[in-house]
Amino acid sequence: MSLDTAPSRTVTAVRRRERRQRSWRRLFVGTAALAAALAVWEVAAYAVHDAVTLPTVQETVRQLVHYLAAPYPQVQGKTLVTDALISTGRILAGFALGTVTGLVLGAAMAGVRVIRELADPIVGVMRPLPPIAFIPLLVVWFGIGEASKIALIFFGVLPVVTIATLGALDAVPDEFTHASRSLGASSFHTMLHVRLRAAVPGVVTGMRIAMGGAWTSIVAAEMIAATGGVGFLILQAGNYLQTPLIFSGIAVIAVLGFTFDGLLRLLLRAVDPTARR
Amino acid sequence: MTERSAQVVEEPVADKPAAVRLRDVGKTFRKRRRETTALEGVSLDIAAGEFLCLVGPSGCGKSTLLSILAGFTEADTGEVLVDGRPVTGPGPDRGVLFQTPTLFPWLTTRQNVLYGPRARRALTPDVREEAAELLETVGLAEFADAYPHELSGGMRHRAAFARVLINHPRVLLMDEPFGALDAITRAGMQRFLLELWQRRRTTIVFVTHDVEEATLLGDRVSVLSGRPGRTKAVVDIDLPRPRTYDDTETLAFVTAKRRIREVLER
Repeated sequence: MSLDTAPSRTVTAVRRRERRQRSWRRLFVGTAALAAALAVWEVAAYAVHDAVTLPTVQETVRQLVHYLAAPYPQVQGKTLVTDALISTGRILAGFALGTVTGLVLGAAMAGVRVIRELADPIVGVMRPLPPIAFIPLLVVWFGIGEASKIALIFFGVLPVVTIATLGALDAVPDEFTHASRSLGASSFHTMLHVRLRAAVPGVVTGMRIAMGGAWTSIVAAEMIAATGGVGFLILQAGNYLQTPLIFSGIAVIAVLGFTFDGLLRLLLRAVDPTARR
Repeated sequence: MTERSAQVVEEPVADKPAAVRLRDVGKTFRKRRRETTALEGVSLDIAAGEFLCLVGPSGCGKSTLLSILAGFTEADTGEVLVDGRPVTGPGPDRGVLFQTPTLFPWLTTRQNVLYGPRARRALTPDVREEAAELLETVGLAEFADAYPHELSGGMRHRAAFARVLINHPRVLLMDEPFGALDAITRAGMQRFLLELWQRRRTTIVFVTHDVEEATLLGDRVSVLSGRPGRTKAVVDIDLPRPRTYDDTETLAFVTAKRRIREVLER
């Protein structure tokens, strides 16, 4: 009966083990590449021999560890951890609001023709605009508090997630809905378990892109008008030529950005079996 | 057997093949003020348990006809009856196999097979057991927990079969299901389908543009004309059953094939 190469459970098991070995290899090579980059930095720092232009790796790490718990600037300053939490909080709030609104708007555009025709040009005009351009306006409207930051992230995330949702829903092949209906599912069940479900990987991919943009916007906003956050800290450190602290702030952003992208990647793997490789 | 006793032993209707009846079916598509008549006055009777193949040049409306039978498309004119009841929409009594397997990529093979029963809230331990048996039948027992992208092309098609068969369809509608497969896998799938039909005797409507495939599989072959699609002729294939791929080399087979080709080119 079997037409293809004699299949067995072990084939899948072997394939999965190979995949695991590959991912360990990738992790090892990736770590080695990062270590090499740090080594280049270190050599360059010794060559430059000026802590303001380029501090050594160990000096940067020392300052990073110190300011994790110590406030900067000393008067009215915040610790790195606090600043990181402030930035993260703004991102999460704006991202959550933007994603939910984008999902609803994208789904409405995919489902209702009038809404698509109305929203299409607006989203089309909004999308290529850099969210940073809105910072002064948002400050005028919402002040320099949390609301303007969250609004900025929101307006950055919204068009990206909307377009991703719309695109993902449009891309669901008719055959999927036809198959579902002819297998006996109601149209409501099909909408929920096939059309929306099939669009989820595309939506999560859109969320990943939006998250990258969110970090760009928030750091810019914190540099222009804020009293806290990693961007604010970096700007302060720059004003006082505290180069190791600039690097520390950048490192914190790198770690946070990587973490959030990693979480979204995990989410993608959970919802899309074809992404598990 | 008298009529009376026949009634007594009658099996539940759900498992019996259904007869299909098309009367003057027509369909016109309108797109940007341009009208395309896909089908015009197609009439066809398919007996319960019959294997009917539909052939015709591309764009002749074969797929539209199948889509009407499945209930995805509504005919503009005419009558479409499955076991005497008019078709009003898609349903599990008519199992559809598409050109591509269209397995849901986020479900494992087993979950795909159980999709129909689950969606109809008919998932019982018995159905689960039947799914396991079906996976065994289609040679995918070892791959029950694999995802579609981990299966080969032929395996995906067999999984799609299992997903449809668990609903006990009374008619199978197949739209060039093996068209995208390589020659060897395709021959294997044809053998698989013949064995399956030999055992279950479900009514099958099989759309193809491959004359050899139609001759090998069908009891009768209905030849459609180019756009707009009309029935040109229905050719009986009197080759003995059960058939195998070896039959394609016999003289009777080649003769039958030529008859269809002649009608097509007429």
